[in-house]
Amino acid sequence: MLQKCISTFSFAAALTIGMFSGQAVAQEKAAAPPTKPTVAKVCANCHEPQPGTIRGNFDNVAYKTKSIQVKIDEATEILRFDDKLKIENVQAPADSPDQPLRGIKKGKEVRIDYSEKDGKKFATAVVVKPPIKVAPEKMAMTEDVERLVAQGPEKGKYLLIDARPLPRFQEGGIPTAVNVPFPAFEKMKDKLPADKAMLIVYYCAGVT
Amino acid sequence: MSPDSARRAENLGYTNVKVYVDGVPEWVKRNYLVLSTQFLKEAWIEKDIPHVLLDVRAAKDAEAGFIKGAVSLPAADVEKSIVKFPPKDKRAPIMIYDQKGGDEAVKAAKVLIAAGYAPVDIVSGGFDAWKAAGFPVQTGKLAENIVYVPKPRPGEISIEEFTKIARAIPADTLILDVRNRDEANAGMIKGAMLVPDEEILDRFAEIPKDKKIVTHCSTGVRAEMAYHKLKEKGYSVQFLNAKVEINDKGEFKIEKP
Repeated sequence: MLQKCISTFSFAAALTIGMFSGQAVAQEKAAAPPTKPTVAKVCANCHEPQPGTIRGNFDNVAYKTKSIQVKIDEATEILRFDDKLKIENVQAPADSPDQPLRGIKKGKEVRIDYSEKDGKKFATAVVVKPPIKVAPEKMAMTEDVERLVAQGPEKGKYLLIDARPLPRFQEGGIPTAVNVPFPAFEKMKDKLPADKAMLIVYYCAGVT
Repeated sequence: MSPDSARRAENLGYTNVKVYVDGVPEWVKRNYLVLSTQFLKEAWIEKDIPHVLLDVRAAKDAEAGFIKGAVSLPAADVEKSIVKFPPKDKRAPIMIYDQKGGDEAVKAAKVLIAAGYAPVDIVSGGFDAWKAAGFPVQTGKLAENIVYVPKPRPGEISIEEFTKIARAIPADTLILDVRNRDEANAGMIKGAMLVPDEEILDRFAEIPKDKKIVTHCSTGVRAEMAYHKLKEKGYSVQFLNAKVEINDKGEFKIEKP
């Protein structure tokens, strides 16, 4: 029986691969790094390194060997797991309910708790980054943004801000958006309107 | 990132801040994205990131000056040419330009989005903006076939190269089968060595350091994990990222889904 192959990856993952391929080449030339990072840059905005914990982007799972592969920027970690693995914020796919880790999209931010013995890492928990809660009255829906974009910033009196990193914005943004990556918020405050009552709509790569 | 940004804007005193929580992944299901000519050049063409670039002007106009790598497909012909596009699930980024970044590009984008393609990007300002920026222009016949080859993952060996090696393994190369024993018992590539992925960390001593290692499994997933373990130990290693079936005679079938 053949497992479903993973090479049809999501848009986000394809971009990630594109972004990392240059770094992977650089890494190949350098000597083996003495210590691997445990927190990916994207997670380091909010999280400090913690012993026994990895924060990075979910890459692959092999149920035949009970292994998961996680990317921490250009580094890769492979961890084994067993049936006691705790999994949080994951919906198992309908076609493989007994293999819940297949419900995690490639590239999704995850925290992995692990123990280590003889240089082998063993995962005890996989926690997918939960969606950040936004109060319903503060949410804009696709229809709202479509309506605004159709009017344009002047008539619609809005500022649409793409909070993703510049390389993602360069690949294509929602029409009329300006790019203010979240980590550069302080530095780029001058991009915000003088009128504090003006409608500002933020977006990024979504919650799923 | 957007909810955090919104919170910080509110802390600065902004009173009408909203978050489009669904963001880009939902937007591209019904709408196109835009990018500048500079971004097209720097983020896609110069970085060699795989994409499809469509020149949707009349063929005659396109031939007088076009962007390198563009395929000629007049806007009116997009609908009947849908079959020539890569399968939707490949999620090939599609970039569209016309003369000025106007109606023709939008028309072509809408046809593709309605057919389920995403992401679809329109180049702002079109060819005129590209030319005005002083970016290189080509003339003559444009390509007519839409080709999209996703970038291989680091360490991936091509199917062609793997097949060549597997048919006659060179003396300096070792094919490492990292499937489980029960899978390998049903058939292995002739001359390959079996070390199930879960045993690699305990069996480095058996894997020769002076050979080029190529790993395979049945799907590519475990082969990639084995690749990472070996690479970290300083091996010269590649992996086959494809579906492999091997019969009891050692005959194999490889396919990229």
